[in-house]
Amino acid sequence: MKKVVSLMLALVLCLGSCFALTSCTSNKSDEKYQIGICQLVEHVALDAATDGFMQAIIDELGEDAVEFDVQNGQGDPATCSTIANQFVSNNVDLIMANATPALQSVAAATGDIPILGTSVTEYGVALNLKDFNGTVGGNISGTSDLAPLDKQAAMIIEWVPDAKTVGLLYCSKEANSQYQVEVVKKELENKGLIAKLYPFTDSNDLAQICTAAADNCDVIYVPTDNTVADNTGIIDNICEPKKVPVIAGEEGICAVCGIATLSISYYDLGYTTGMMAVRILRDGADISTMPIEYADKQTPKYNKQNCEALGITPLEGYIAIDEN
Amino acid sequence: MEIFEQLFNALPGSISQGLIWGIMAIGVYITYRILDIADLTVDGSFATGGAVAVMLILNGCNLWLAMLAAFIAGILAGAVTGLLHTFMGIPPILAGILTQLSLYSINLKIMGKANQSVNVNQTDLLISLRWVKEFAFHNPLITVAIVLVILIAILYWFFGTEMGCAIRATGSNLNMSRAQGINTDFNKVLGIMLSNGLVAFSGAFLAQYQGFADVKMGQGSIVIGLAAVIIGEALLGKIFKNFALKLLSVAFGSIIYYIVIQTVITLGLDANLLKLLSAIIVAVFLAIPHWKRKYSEKYMRKSKGGKVNA
Repeated sequence: MKKVVSLMLALVLCLGSCFALTSCTSNKSDEKYQIGICQLVEHVALDAATDGFMQAIIDELGEDAVEFDVQNGQGDPATCSTIANQFVSNNVDLIMANATPALQSVAAATGDIPILGTSVTEYGVALNLKDFNGTVGGNISGTSDLAPLDKQAAMIIEWVPDAKTVGLLYCSKEANSQYQVEVVKKELENKGLIAKLYPFTDSNDLAQICTAAADNCDVIYVPTDNTVADNTGIIDNICEPKKVPVIAGEEGICAVCGIATLSISYYDLGYTTGMMAVRILRDGADISTMPIEYADKQTPKYNKQNCEALGITPLEGYIAIDEN
Repeated sequence: MEIFEQLFNALPGSISQGLIWGIMAIGVYITYRILDIADLTVDGSFATGGAVAVMLILNGCNLWLAMLAAFIAGILAGAVTGLLHTFMGIPPILAGILTQLSLYSINLKIMGKANQSVNVNQTDLLISLRWVKEFAFHNPLITVAIVLVILIAILYWFFGTEMGCAIRATGSNLNMSRAQGINTDFNKVLGIMLSNGLVAFSGAFLAQYQGFADVKMGQGSIVIGLAAVIIGEALLGKIFKNFALKLLSVAFGSIIYYIVIQTVITLGLDANLLKLLSAIIVAVFLAIPHWKRKYSEKYMRKSKGGKVNA
């Protein structure tokens, strides 16, 4: 009984004194830059981006000059808010937000600490900006993982010239994927093809939706979709026996179930983001004027094994994905 | 020491998150404790509340009106579950799962996509994580605390009325209530509606707090709600006997849950273990009353030196 009462008293005390302590947060070691990294979920591409980001900063500033606090939201957007709260109350020097919900949470948490996003496809959509012109402004900038969608649409036609119907397979939980397939759909329709959307909910109904897509379409396109990336085996097992080629938005997906991709490297993307962080921290660059940066090179790649299985001759200029 | 300071600085944020989820947990309390039904609709209606509020706010709707709309959307979701259960005779857990499933599609349709941002720089919001340390009305800590107290007051009044008593009676003894001429089906539906209304209301707060609504935001929320109910009961159940205080203890449970989560993140424990930890917290707090009972039975046996009167 006494314990419970004292516990409650402690809680009330904490509540009351929180406000008093708001400005006394700068008690950190001054020589080192504190960088918080909020990553949405454990995932090959996102992990690579985080690694690239840290490597760039270590390369430029040295290992002793920075302290990283890497936190993972476990795919749960609400956890990202808790992490964002942590970074802001620790008053870190810079926050890197990896993937869209992470960026949104961090952006809601602070208007002062510089925020760099990465693996975010469209900043205008992610932050609901009305007249987005490539620079977010305020305390936010970053890099986008948007591979040129017009080139991807053209690639579908190049690889499967006699295709009439294209199935666009994506997870309806992912706003990024939806954005990509809608753009690709428009591009394909402009070129006179029929494009059908095949949204699935999760790995449980992926197989059914993918079968429907493979039955009704001549070729399937998948964007940079996190759920697809985790379930490439399912798609491969359905599409290969049906001899339906898959064009992928990203190398990791293509390596298992695709025939070709215009690949961007998430490691390089993270590295580019890291260089932006260096400019802000060391050179005092003004983040509000920094435009969103994109992966500067895309590498056209093909999946040798799948091409052979489908009897497709790889186009020139494409290089084979390393077989592991 | 540094850890304590970090934790302390992060406290306003975790308490406000706890308060927001506290409203949701009170919704869970109504179904789980009062009606004795495990209602899984909440995983869907939580996101519905967020989606409805965000879409209305983006279209220039008054903020409190948007909150009200979210509440009503939740009530409608609850009505579906209630009718599936009472009118169509589907077991309550299954009815909740069915509604939750259909709400996924509905939430996608409401927002038009999986994730809708509501940017605090561009849009006026009731609360935001941004303002968590400002001493002003839009501080989530203050706003949500006031709203929570008002809600508890209304619920306290409501469950004292004839209608509210009927809901409580339905939950505690179905057959007896029916024998007393209470329409138990109607009261079940009413309880589930009220519960989901509160859950959606809390979802509307959370969407503003974190700056976006997402179809995934309700996933697993039933676990957090149950955790809050159970932690609150385990810690404060002994001294909080009054109904209003019981509701308050649920909110405290939710705050404690979020302080624990924040501590885990501050200590830098492997975040991959977070879900396991959530499950362990719930399991431990579920076990505490059981152990307490066992211990006190033993103690009573010893002190009386004989059998306990049944």
